[in-house]
Amino acid sequence: MSPLTLALVVLVAPLFSAAIIAVFLRRAATLASFVSVVAALVAAGGAFALALGNHRDFPASWEWLRFGAFSLSLGLKYDDLAALMLVIVGIVGLCVHVFSLGYMHEDRSRARYFGGLSIFMFSMIGIVFADNLFMMFIFWELVGFSSWLLINHWHERQSASDAAKKAFIVNRVGDFGFLLGIILCYWSNGTVTLSELDGGRHVFSTLIPLLLFCGAVGKSAQVPLHVWLPDAMEGPTPVSALIHAATMVAAGIYMLCRINVLMVPDALQVIMWVGTVTALYAASCAIVQRDIKKVLAYSTLSQLGYMVAAFGLGSLGGQDGGRAALVGAGAGAAMFHLTTHAFFKALLFLGSGSVIHGCHHEQDIFRMGGLAKRMKLTFLTFTIGVAAIIGLPFLAGFFSKDAILFLAFANNRAVFVILAFTAVLTALYMTRLWRITFFGEPRSESAAHAHEGGLTLTLPLVVLAALAVLGGYTAIYPKVFSVVLELVPEARGGDHTVVLVTSLLVLLVGAGVGFVFYRPAAADALEEKSPGLFRLLSSKLWFDELYTYYVDKVQQRFAMLLNYLEQIFLAGVIIRGFAGLVGLLGLGARRLHVGRLNAYVYWFLFGVAALWLFAAGIF
Amino acid sequence: MSQLPFDPLLLSVAAPLALAVAIALGLPKRWSVRLAYVGFALPALLALWTWSNYSSQPLSHGYAFLTSYSTGLDGLGIGLVLGLNGISLPLFVLAGLVGFAAGLYAIQSNAERLKIYLMLLLAMQAGVMGMFASVDVFFFYFFHELALIPTFIMVGMWGTRGPTENSYAAMKLTIYLTLGAMLSLLGLIALYVKSGATAAHGFNLITLREILAARPLGETTQHHIFALLLFGFGILVSLWPLHTWAPLGYGAAPSSAAMLHAGVLKKFGLYGLIQIALPLLPAGIAHWGHLLAVLAAVGNILVVGFITMAQRDLKQVVGYSSVMHMGYAFLGIAAYSVLGIGGVVLLMVAHGLSVALLFLLATSIHQRTHTFDLAEMGGLAQKTPVLAAFFVAATFASIGLPGFANFWGELAIFVALWKFSHVFTVIAVAGVVISAVYGLRAAARVFFGPPSEAFVIVSGRHPPSDLTWREKIPALVLLAALLFIGFWPKSLSTPLNATLVSTPALSAPAAK
Repeated sequence: MSPLTLALVVLVAPLFSAAIIAVFLRRAATLASFVSVVAALVAAGGAFALALGNHRDFPASWEWLRFGAFSLSLGLKYDDLAALMLVIVGIVGLCVHVFSLGYMHEDRSRARYFGGLSIFMFSMIGIVFADNLFMMFIFWELVGFSSWLLINHWHERQSASDAAKKAFIVNRVGDFGFLLGIILCYWSNGTVTLSELDGGRHVFSTLIPLLLFCGAVGKSAQVPLHVWLPDAMEGPTPVSALIHAATMVAAGIYMLCRINVLMVPDALQVIMWVGTVTALYAASCAIVQRDIKKVLAYSTLSQLGYMVAAFGLGSLGGQDGGRAALVGAGAGAAMFHLTTHAFFKALLFLGSGSVIHGCHHEQDIFRMGGLAKRMKLTFLTFTIGVAAIIGLPFLAGFFSKDAILFLAFANNRAVFVILAFTAVLTALYMTRLWRITFFGEPRSESAAHAHEGGLTLTLPLVVLAALAVLGGYTAIYPKVFSVVLELVPEARGGDHTVVLVTSLLVLLVGAGVGFVFYRPAAADALEEKSPGLFRLLSSKLWFDELYTYYVDKVQQRFAMLLNYLEQIFLAGVIIRGFAGLVGLLGLGARRLHVGRLNAYVYWFLFGVAALWLFAAGIF
Repeated sequence: MSQLPFDPLLLSVAAPLALAVAIALGLPKRWSVRLAYVGFALPALLALWTWSNYSSQPLSHGYAFLTSYSTGLDGLGIGLVLGLNGISLPLFVLAGLVGFAAGLYAIQSNAERLKIYLMLLLAMQAGVMGMFASVDVFFFYFFHELALIPTFIMVGMWGTRGPTENSYAAMKLTIYLTLGAMLSLLGLIALYVKSGATAAHGFNLITLREILAARPLGETTQHHIFALLLFGFGILVSLWPLHTWAPLGYGAAPSSAAMLHAGVLKKFGLYGLIQIALPLLPAGIAHWGHLLAVLAAVGNILVVGFITMAQRDLKQVVGYSSVMHMGYAFLGIAAYSVLGIGGVVLLMVAHGLSVALLFLLATSIHQRTHTFDLAEMGGLAQKTPVLAAFFVAATFASIGLPGFANFWGELAIFVALWKFSHVFTVIAVAGVVISAVYGLRAAARVFFGPPSEAFVIVSGRHPPSDLTWREKIPALVLLAALLFIGFWPKSLSTPLNATLVSTPALSAPAAK
């Protein structure tokens, strides 16, 4: 099979699966889940075969629409960056599909769920392959739709329905900028094809990269468009792992790496600060969450902020020779962290899914406890995930986070301090989560009867745990990804010591405070000891309140006002006045109105015939 | 096979018309219904045939299937000339498909006085097919009226609101649309007279184009005639602030009439602008383009977009959203380039299919909830998952999700618009967010969350059943077309592009 055919199979297999499920397998849930898992298997297998097959940049582009000089093509750009992303999507996708077999086993709408997973895989793979910005936008919108569909899975819940709607609309706000950026890029550069932009034939503009970045702000849930992601936890937990942790939300970072040649220093500054603020803000919110998934959601926001900040930090000072090198190290560090984060965050989410499944859909960590003894494998793998995210040496997160910290240390000390402090908070809230969930005595009936799930639930955990351990060693990656991973900045000499010491100190302080401060209990220690701070953190800085106020009190009232004005002026006074005049004229014709429809029809036909005969000069 | 032993265009007009007359003359009900299937299916099949064979047809004067028929009125320059070019072909297909779906839905609706209902709908069907197949301007207008008049009667007689509201809606519809039609007729007559064409030339687009290419009208004349056409056609397409007939009329119209009118007949105005006004009066759009864009962007997209958010009534949401989407079409016309006009034609087809599907589904929802009030619904998806899936698909189509036809039209318009004006592009793209807000709001209110108290009572009395096959088939026709064009836009854009790039006024726009 030629690499092109293989790539197309990888892309189309999930679409095919979704179509089959939608059309034929709506009632055959087991078969539907089987078809969907096979499609995920094909995608994952194909992703590996393509990556290891050492074929890159095979030309493939088909014109899809042409009007005059405007031509829109769909094509594949398969380079090392795409190869790495595709492998991540393939592995995590397959793990989540398998996990879902067990997790969603008793769900009545399983067929729709697996159909949704397949349509998501198709859309996500489309983003990875996209060779131009229009194509990326197409699949970008489609992942938004898949996300809507899957968050809305338990649609009988008002909260799920609201969350799905919110996610789609907030993403569309980001896409508003994204699309304008694409259009501006098209008219400024005459092309939106990535490889043609790479050639350096593009204008310098701060506006274009910033508008395109809007898309990433929406999809990767950066402040101020972050509000949809915590709510998206209304979806089934495997969906949170796949879409709202490992892949779709990371698409924003992937997209930035795709358009890195368009970047200019001013735009990078903005991107860096947005990412930094998001990282800190979300980590502070995570400290006070009670819902196991919400902790992880805010943690995801924070880590995405890390990646965005890393990208914005750009290349290492002094290497800024050509424009192409402007973001080299930043992109490398961001992609590296994206990779390790995909593994350990998917692991944590699936672990939380296993916990939730074991505790009969209890999600409040203060009503758990003692799970370490009852769910040994979940405990073990979850612990690896926690260790990875807080940056315990020799696990995945340690390496990728250090790369970012080093980059920040070299380029911007303020960002370095903030990110290091964020790392303290990360260690703190993860330790809190881990301790309260798994230790102490069970604090509810469901936690007391917790049990480990079947093989479909545990196998993906083991696979992801292995990756969370190994994922940080760039040496073990096949050489095929080296172009991306060589960009990852490596600290040397004195800087190395500073960063390493900082990183270890951060870990010790954060985890230590977390371990000492939070004991397994039914109430939050921070709430008891410092209610003021707890309330401040719980407020999440009133973003949701602000948006709700805007939607209910400003937008909806403005809409009502316009509607009212239209009824009064356009529809009422003017038209009724005019109608009255016409009514007077019509009085004379009233005699003909006998009130029977046939009569009107006959009159009409008669009139047409008479007119025709008259016009033809017959009488 | 690329030739038929008969003229597919003529037959697609004549068949439904002949059946309508036969029913009027007293065909028994059973046969009326059976033959109505033929009357609706035949135009659809012929439209699909012309679509798939268009590329293999010889073109004369840019038209395929070009045929002239004598009408006995040749002395007046009125000859029936039928033909399709790249602009009319997509719309001809649209008319065939939506007519078929509306017809099937009407037959299963079992309306009172079904015979007359079907007769009127068949007359509409003949009208919309003829409208797009006519090269002759007189018949273009005549067929529009043929389809328009049944609409008034259907709203008045089979309206879905109370009798007072129905007759008010019917009256308002009649006044507005007659006014619009009269203005545009005036414009067409002025065009004919000023062009200096004689009866010997005839009143068809091919000769008009030739005459005006040789002797273009003076700029001022063009401005005046264009204004008549723009505002006449504008009323018919619900250009803000002349749009208020639309939500009211559609709110009251029976489903099949709303489907055919909003889906197809309403496109008459845009079609007239694109096929007649723009190529023949290029100075007109240069003069009026900016005003048109202001009305469309601020009025149709922003004001109406916000108004749509405030609607409580499902049919009003669909009606207003349709008005809003016409704003994109007007903006594409204002942008006036191959890309912009191409986008408009694609959007016309896509919008026609999706709005017809939404009206169909709104009626199916009403049959299950016994109300159009969004506040009295909720949770319907638990009872009717298939209906919910169709509605969600139609909603996402209409808010421009890729994979559905609407996306390509909107995208092409947005890209083209940037060359015309940056501000209007920003407004138009902002419309994408607005439409997501009201579209998802309506879908969620009807189908998701827990059922409202009112709906719990209603569904207790009449347990709702899922979509029947007789409702599903017409819905599937429309959905399949939306997806087909969404996945394979070239099927329409290739012939469309060929016609547009050969339009001199478009490929080399007049200096502004």
